[in-house]
Amino acid sequence: MATFSLLVTANPHSSQGQFSAIQFAKSLLSIGHELKRVFFYGDGVLVASRLNHPPSDEYNLTKSWAKLAIEHDFELVACVTVAMKRGITNAVEADRNALTGDNLDPAFEISGLGQLTEAMLESDRLITFG
Amino acid sequence: MSKSLSIIFNKAPYGLQSGRELLDIALMAAAFDMDIKALFIEDGVYQLLDNQQPDVLYMKNHSPTFKALDLYGIETRLIAEHDLDERGITQEQLLPVAETTSQETIKQVISESDFVFML
Repeated sequence: MATFSLLVTANPHSSQGQFSAIQFAKSLLSIGHELKRVFFYGDGVLVASRLNHPPSDEYNLTKSWAKLAIEHDFELVACVTVAMKRGITNAVEADRNALTGDNLDPAFEISGLGQLTEAMLESDRLITFG
Repeated sequence: MSKSLSIIFNKAPYGLQSGRELLDIALMAAAFDMDIKALFIEDGVYQLLDNQQPDVLYMKNHSPTFKALDLYGIETRLIAEHDLDERGITQEQLLPVAETTSQETIKQVISESDFVFML
């Protein structure tokens, strides 16, 4: 069995990449592989907002990632630089930058690019979904 | 043994942010002592054009950061000569940060890497 990490750069609102990534994650977990971390970069970080609110008959990626990560104990990490740029922030960063609110879903964390490198070093495979 | 990483720049700058994002990944991974190769292919060769003036597009110029690749210990920096020729670009028009090579060499470098990034 192998250890995987994923790099997701696809925009959750306008691209299939995030849907492919979550399907891939479910598949690899279902056959006994380990998923260490999903790192969101570029437009991929947009999925980390708890305010994402798709119509009720559409798939909710934010909640689906959160559920899967909690069930299987892997990390959802959004890159801080690109997240802040896109208005995705946790309370700490909002406070530090004098922003009026925060919107990071509690299942996600915001951290640096070092977490992507570390994921590579500690995984057998890193798969990109763009 | 440190893991090796190929970072492939294959898109022109500014229309998309991928060049800048890959550059950030390269520099961060270098800080972790990974064995990194920066490869410039297809429209990615435009990333290295000297004298870029993206301020007219309200964009930040990330091209000076390519000069930092060497400082960060990223020694393998290759441009696909074929892709330069195809676009009518000469090496004199580029920042002096990478050397030209054949597509075969670039394929070889990619195939020998543990991880490959292309955004």
